Amino acid sequence: MIQALILLTIGLPWLGGLAIWITTNKHPRAQHTLAVVFAVAAGLAALLMLPYTSATPAIVIPLGGIFGALTFTPDGMSVFLSIIATVVGSLAVIFSVNYMHGDKQLGRYYELVLLFIGAMAGLALTGSLLFLFVFWEITAFCSFALIAFNNDDPKAVAGGIKALIITSLGGMGLLIGALIIYANLGSYQIADFLARAHEMPADVLALVAFGFLIAAAAKSAQFPFQTWLPDAMEAPTPVSALIHAATMVNAGVYLLARFFPAFKDVPGWTTAVMAVGLLSVLLAGIMAVVATDLKRALAYSTVSQLGLMVYAIGAGSVYASQFHLLSHAVFKALLFLGAGTVIHAVGTRDMRQMGGLGSRMPFTRTVFVIGALALAGIPIFNGFWSKELILEAGLEAEGALWAYIAAIIGAALTAMYTLRMVYLVFFGAPRSQLHAHDAQPAMKVSLGILAFGVCTTWLLAGPLYQLLTSTLPFHQFREVTTLDMISTVLTDLATYLALLVVFVGGLCWWKRDALSSITKRLQGLARMATNSFGFEAINRGIVRVTQNTAETLRLTQTGLLSWNVAGIAIGLIVVLVILAWGK
Amino acid sequence: MTPLQIALIGVLGLIGIGLYGLLITRNLIKVVVALQVLVKGALLALVAAGTASGKINLGQSLAVMVIVVDTVVAVIGLALALQVKRRMGTLDVKELSTLQK
Repeated sequence: MIQALILLTIGLPWLGGLAIWITTNKHPRAQHTLAVVFAVAAGLAALLMLPYTSATPAIVIPLGGIFGALTFTPDGMSVFLSIIATVVGSLAVIFSVNYMHGDKQLGRYYELVLLFIGAMAGLALTGSLLFLFVFWEITAFCSFALIAFNNDDPKAVAGGIKALIITSLGGMGLLIGALIIYANLGSYQIADFLARAHEMPADVLALVAFGFLIAAAAKSAQFPFQTWLPDAMEAPTPVSALIHAATMVNAGVYLLARFFPAFKDVPGWTTAVMAVGLLSVLLAGIMAVVATDLKRALAYSTVSQLGLMVYAIGAGSVYASQFHLLSHAVFKALLFLGAGTVIHAVGTRDMRQMGGLGSRMPFTRTVFVIGALALAGIPIFNGFWSKELILEAGLEAEGALWAYIAAIIGAALTAMYTLRMVYLVFFGAPRSQLHAHDAQPAMKVSLGILAFGVCTTWLLAGPLYQLLTSTLPFHQFREVTTLDMISTVLTDLATYLALLVVFVGGLCWWKRDALSSITKRLQGLARMATNSFGFEAINRGIVRVTQNTAETLRLTQTGLLSWNVAGIAIGLIVVLVILAWGK
Repeated sequence: MTPLQIALIGVLGLIGIGLYGLLITRNLIKVVVALQVLVKGALLALVAAGTASGKINLGQSLAVMVIVVDTVVAVIGLALALQVKRRMGTLDVKELSTLQK
């Protein structure tokens, strides 16, 4: 049963992609229908896995040799992440029915999105490090191809290439780590590694730990790789919601959470994780406050929220990070799809040209405000509970008060940029003559379901704990039930401190005119933030070096038949010489 | 010199001529011809190996099959070359290449 469900969760989206390819672009209606049917079916298959979670591999396919075995382990964390990938994926596909309506290359779009959904489910479910890397790279490729979807636009292509190079660079960290583990333990199985990590020499384990941290930082757009995510916003908006907010960027957090038990005793590792997370929270938070592009502002806030999850792992609370991952996937997908509705209606992403759209798009305004309140951490919505859990975990981590203070400042920044964003888009006086219409039916379905999720997923705190604790033998979780969580959060003084800080952050934006003397002094900081504090230059440098190397190596690819034949002949001679040598 | 050694010298000679032809020619038709010579070398190797290992039937039947497949390849190659000449107006592989700068 569970075997079939695992294969369906990964295979259905891929089959759907194939079916859409066969349908061809001449039948857009059929393509829309097929995409929605296959994506929703995959989501259902993932949800049906819930009762069958186990810590042992359900599918083992021995491949022999150095490839080990391809295994799929449906444990709590895997099933949880694959549900997020397929359910948010199917909502994004439903949204695309309206958003991508009339696009000439619909087939390519849906094929890549469905390929991504299947690969993401595979990434979550596989129990083999080698295949974790394979799925990791498939998602990176889909991300690249979808960012560069409008391939007439040089900005989109540049953004796609940047994302591909940076995430592949991180992928190298993962691959090297996996190979080191294989060399030391003779197995790619994650469970084996978690059980026997202490058998590895300490310095080798540290190498693996920091390699994985680099991989996670590149994938989740964390410090110092945070600049690829804003450039990825050239992608169609449902893709931004799915890949660059709700699923793929979570893969880094998943990696850290998954291997936390093995790495937590590596000296300096947890501190490094906390530092990476907090630097992302603070830098991205400041950049979001000065961003003028609606989607870029949301992208910065994604970096900052992911930073919060990374910080939670560093502080030792894997549960809080996973809970915030759930909340964030739901509310950020809602915010992105809401932003997509606005962009679809008015045709620009520049917030300076928007304003006063709320009265003409009441439905969109309502759901966007719900998402924004969750992002800012206002009570009742899911973002509030998970953020409080993270801050509490941070307070309990020993000797990390500096980290807690930084996280609190991050929360204030979040409130400030969220309020600014909502105000600039939906309220105030219209700043230009923009034609606007409210969300269309399919969009409303996705937005409505997500808005409902934002109001309710925090009730799943207890069930999520049960799911994680029952099948992850190497992680230690402290017991959490939903009622427990409500009472601790409501009685904890730290909660009110955090709320006060959130309120102050919001107030800072509200009273920005009165504070103008201070903001003037911060002009320099704002200018630095617009330029990504110089990290843009580092990332651009990495991209340029890679491209120049490729361009140099390009000389060997002449495309001339005789050179290719010469290459084959030389290769043959080399093989013969090696064979003769071996004798 | 044993018959096997003579056959192997023939194999090396044919493969050498084929590769040399592929290396220096730029005419698409000559490329197909050179490829044929190359494959004939491989054929001879098959027959020789079959004889040397005592599985004479296996070697020769494989060789017959390769002859059939190879003929089809040659026919399709020449047909493509004809189409290329009609559409592009040239048979020079260097001019046909689009990968070079």
